Amino acid sequence: MAKGVVLMSGGIDSPVAADMLLSRGHELVAVHMDNRPFTDDSPLEKVRDHLDVLRARYGVTLPLYVLPHGSTQVTLMRNTDRHVGCVLCRRFMWRSAEKVAEREGATFLLTGEALGQVASQTLSNMRSATVAVKMPIVRPLVGFDKHEIEERARALGTYGISTRPGLCCQAVPDRPATRTRLVQILGEEQKIDVDRMLDDVVRHAVLQ
Amino acid sequence: MSYRSLKLCSNGGAFEAIPEPKLRLDLAKVRAAAESSGRAVVDARVMLILPGEPEVTVTRDGKIVVKTHDAGVADRAFRELVRLFDLPSEVPPLVRER
Repeated sequence: MAKGVVLMSGGIDSPVAADMLLSRGHELVAVHMDNRPFTDDSPLEKVRDHLDVLRARYGVTLPLYVLPHGSTQVTLMRNTDRHVGCVLCRRFMWRSAEKVAEREGATFLLTGEALGQVASQTLSNMRSATVAVKMPIVRPLVGFDKHEIEERARALGTYGISTRPGLCCQAVPDRPATRTRLVQILGEEQKIDVDRMLDDVVRHAVLQ
Repeated sequence: MSYRSLKLCSNGGAFEAIPEPKLRLDLAKVRAAAESSGRAVVDARVMLILPGEPEVTVTRDGKIVVKTHDAGVADRAFRELVRLFDLPSEVPPLVRER
């Protein structure tokens, strides 16, 4: 069985994706990108509770890395085109998760993304984000609709945690781009120091 | 143009006030006003974040988000900002003072 890094947001989808891989015997390490001050404390609290559910279900340790993402958001907002902000944000999340995977000896990345659910999850945006990393990305929910995912989350016992009150990401632009071109994304990243920002994020990762 | 309501946002994590129609705030002036009152400011160019209890976000189009579940706390913070930034508001009090 393989070892992977799962991106956990506190939402409905990621614990369901993690459950599907854990049920097949794969080992997982969780990463949460801490979006404060663009959110509140609730996403991290939800992730901790999701992991408790999964640990109890499978008897695994499932360590959690919390990586600061707020300063990255500030830099993106100050220097790049707001309309493609979600894709740029996503690329940083993937890169950060890949760094953790390298540290942990993991060989794949895992996400609860489902096609068409939000602005960053259109096919073109997924592609623009995915090519930021070399490691394979597993998306077990990609063809599921929202209802199917919610049913699985209810059965797992994580739905009630995900739907507790919480602040939506304040960094999401009013009209996020749904069809980005990679050349445009790479152009935006020329305006910032990606390597330095990534080093800074990974250096401040906290294992919980 | 004015704020007409301060209400719990859809996910229930904060109170928000959205002006109708949207404003075009000069965030540099808003930032200066906030700093002159002794508040710390995180400047993300298209929005300002004012850390504290409660933490507040002000966007360029005038949206104000107060990060609290407490209507009274949100109301007081909103009114303080309206006064500080000289913003138009017709929001009735959320909590009646006894």
